[in-house]
Amino acid sequence: MKNRLKLLRVERGWTQEQLGQALGVSRQAVNALETEKHDPSLDLAYRIATLFTRPVEDIFENPHA
Amino acid sequence: MLSAWKQGTPAGRRYIIRTWAFMIPYMLVCISMMLTDAFDEIIGKPAGWGLAAAISAPVIGQLWATLSLMRESDEFVRAVAAKQFILAAGLAMALATFWGFAEMFANAPHLPGWLIYAAFWGLYGLVSPFIRTSN
Repeated sequence: MKNRLKLLRVERGWTQEQLGQALGVSRQAVNALETEKHDPSLDLAYRIATLFTRPVEDIFENPHA
Repeated sequence: MLSAWKQGTPAGRRYIIRTWAFMIPYMLVCISMMLTDAFDEIIGKPAGWGLAAAISAPVIGQLWATLSLMRESDEFVRAVAAKQFILAAGLAMALATFWGFAEMFANAPHLPGWLIYAAFWGLYGLVSPFIRTSN
């Protein structure tokens, strides 16, 4: 799923490891999200949205829109 | 294994420790069975059933270790581990089915059934590098 996760992470100067710790997931999971190798669950998508204080659709492109 | 340890999560490291804890006794029994006559005297005796049960215990332990890895990991690692396990198990079953029929109908030499576990791990190692997405 296309997303702006890497952009948002880099804007804040975070590493994948740091973002993973903030979200409670592994660095591998963050990397997989950024490279579109993993579509997040609704729970994880909302955790990411809450962390970046943005709506989910500002971060993840709605593939059905 | 070393790079997996260095790059891995705490759950992944626990999985590696558990895997070795189950794999070492399994391999020791298998190797001593193949290279020595240590177990020959129990062939055909009730103790033979005991050995069969004992050697299958680490296999069940490994199943527990894999399920624990999935339970203790995040959703991405869980999905990838499940895909790797399912693919390796499916290929191992296909291989066992193929060889079983080959023995019956194509005069293929008989292979002991317990080799399926080693075949499974061989296939697991073979397919794992190619499964890097959860999709």
